[in-house]
Amino acid sequence: MAKVLIPTPLRQYSEKQDSVELTGSTVGEVLGALTTKFPDLRKQLFNDEGKLRSFVNVYLNDEDIRYLKKDATPVAAGDTLSIVPSIAGGSGDPPVSLSNDEIMRYSRHLIMPEVGMEGQLRLKSASVLLVGTGGLGAPLGMYLAAAGIGRIGLVDFDVVDFTNLHRQIIHGTKDVGRKKLDSAADTIADINPNVKIEKYDTMLSSENALEICKNYDLIIDGTDNFPTRYLVNDACVLLKKPNVYGSIFRFEGQATVFAFPGGPCYRCLYPEPPPPGLVPSCAEGGVLGILPGIIGLIQATEAVKLILGAGETLVGRLVLYDALAMRFRELKLRRNPECPACGDHPTITKLIDYQEFCGIPHHEPPPAPGLKDGEIDPVEVKEMMDRGSPFLLLDVREPHEYLICSIPTSKLVPLGDLPKRVNELDTATEIVAHCKSGVRSAKAVDFLKQAGFKKVKNMKGGILAWSDKVDPKVPKY
Amino acid sequence: MIKVDSKAWDVMVAHAEAKFPNECCGAMIGKIDGDQKHVISAEPMENAYAGAQGARYELRPEDLMDADKRARAAGMDLIGIFHSHPDCDAYFSKTDLENSCPWYSFVVLSIKGGKFDHANSFLPNAEQTAAEKEDLIWPKS
Repeated sequence: MAKVLIPTPLRQYSEKQDSVELTGSTVGEVLGALTTKFPDLRKQLFNDEGKLRSFVNVYLNDEDIRYLKKDATPVAAGDTLSIVPSIAGGSGDPPVSLSNDEIMRYSRHLIMPEVGMEGQLRLKSASVLLVGTGGLGAPLGMYLAAAGIGRIGLVDFDVVDFTNLHRQIIHGTKDVGRKKLDSAADTIADINPNVKIEKYDTMLSSENALEICKNYDLIIDGTDNFPTRYLVNDACVLLKKPNVYGSIFRFEGQATVFAFPGGPCYRCLYPEPPPPGLVPSCAEGGVLGILPGIIGLIQATEAVKLILGAGETLVGRLVLYDALAMRFRELKLRRNPECPACGDHPTITKLIDYQEFCGIPHHEPPPAPGLKDGEIDPVEVKEMMDRGSPFLLLDVREPHEYLICSIPTSKLVPLGDLPKRVNELDTATEIVAHCKSGVRSAKAVDFLKQAGFKKVKNMKGGILAWSDKVDPKVPKY
Repeated sequence: MIKVDSKAWDVMVAHAEAKFPNECCGAMIGKIDGDQKHVISAEPMENAYAGAQGARYELRPEDLMDADKRARAAGMDLIGIFHSHPDCDAYFSKTDLENSCPWYSFVVLSIKGGKFDHANSFLPNAEQTAAEKEDLIWPKS
């Protein structure tokens, strides 16, 4: 005789008994005796094919019969059989629907048949990764959130700075000094609390890019450096996910969709990165504050179209925008069958070292402590002025920079004009050259030395250091 | 109808909030009178799901068997299973349905941003193809 314990909900089929003594030499025989005694139990435990239902486990004493001999497991007198359900679950794939509040919020979308309820649910089910929450990431994050994208990932490690505010409208003046991630997430949550925001407080790298990108339907590149552009491109090609690309510089921008199946990738357009330093960044060359709004929203439009499956996307087309001329142009792009990433015989099968690929040293050599030969500290320059020492302070910046701020008594000769205006300078007079941060004036000093000037020095740190160390009334830009 | 006492409810909510952003699970024990179920105590259990637990849970059958034994010893019954849905609503998902058992009430607690939001109870069928919503009464205070 073996004892079978009946779970509470099944006692209605066992004449309310919580355990039953039955005979049988195997588990199969005991269960057979059980369902013969209580026929109504059969349907609970076995399916139509006579097999134990998937959620039914049978334990002999403390062991699961699946790990013994299943139905043929021998049963001895005094053994106890327990019927234990296997239970699992999870929110898994939630059925997506719109609440009444959401229906109201998206009503201007819902009444267009090109979007409609089906499209809006697609947007809600979609996930988008924004790499960077700067100039491009700002309008992208705000409009994609407003449009009802269900899940937005944000990657950034930077902190909001005053110089960001003229274009990065997802951050406000009150956010200066905060993490861009936190500030961007607050703005998005305020625009649309239905959006699930996922924050990655890191720099996208070869180590983490695939892991992060794989969780999203689309990747949008809003960065402004070449290593990250190649990294995002290669990650998207490897993961077969579209890369919605945009870039901006001064008054011009471009946008397209890379790595869409069958379409070109960034490497088809630019197989090699430019030599480091050739293409200035926005910090070096400047950018019209409104420009990332236009380009970012072209990217946002493409992202929404890709999700909806509507319209004609920019796959295979590069849009070029010139804000000064207010002109859009378009270039056809084709996938290059020889492309090392997306070609017919790709050689890039995993992520590489993109800093090295772009010729950027991993660690900038640390600046030499103190003054290098031929350099002079701004404080010493001020002392020379106060002593009345005869010397010429030579400002080699551009005229429009001179209008922002200047150091009294300085003479402006832009670096580019120096060769033809060198005769204005006297080799007998001591010269101190300066620019914004000291890079251009170092070039000016080199040039002047080659031209035969002996008494030339470079003011270390430029007018920025002057503002810090000598006169804080001089604004920094 | 399933009614949960405040002591049991507090245990369930505290367990669900503590496990956020992962899913939690556990058993509900009490008495049944006809179709009136009365949960008197709740037992938190370990989520035994092997992968990421943000949207999945699994109960160890052994844990359930032990809970059933303790319930019997206390003169009570194992009535239901509870689990949480972090940052989403308390619906009965496809995953929930496909791994369910028709013998118990399944209480789902929606935890949003780490705090309890709302809850529902479901009664799945034996074919694991549909679940009926059951009236759930909990101390709302």
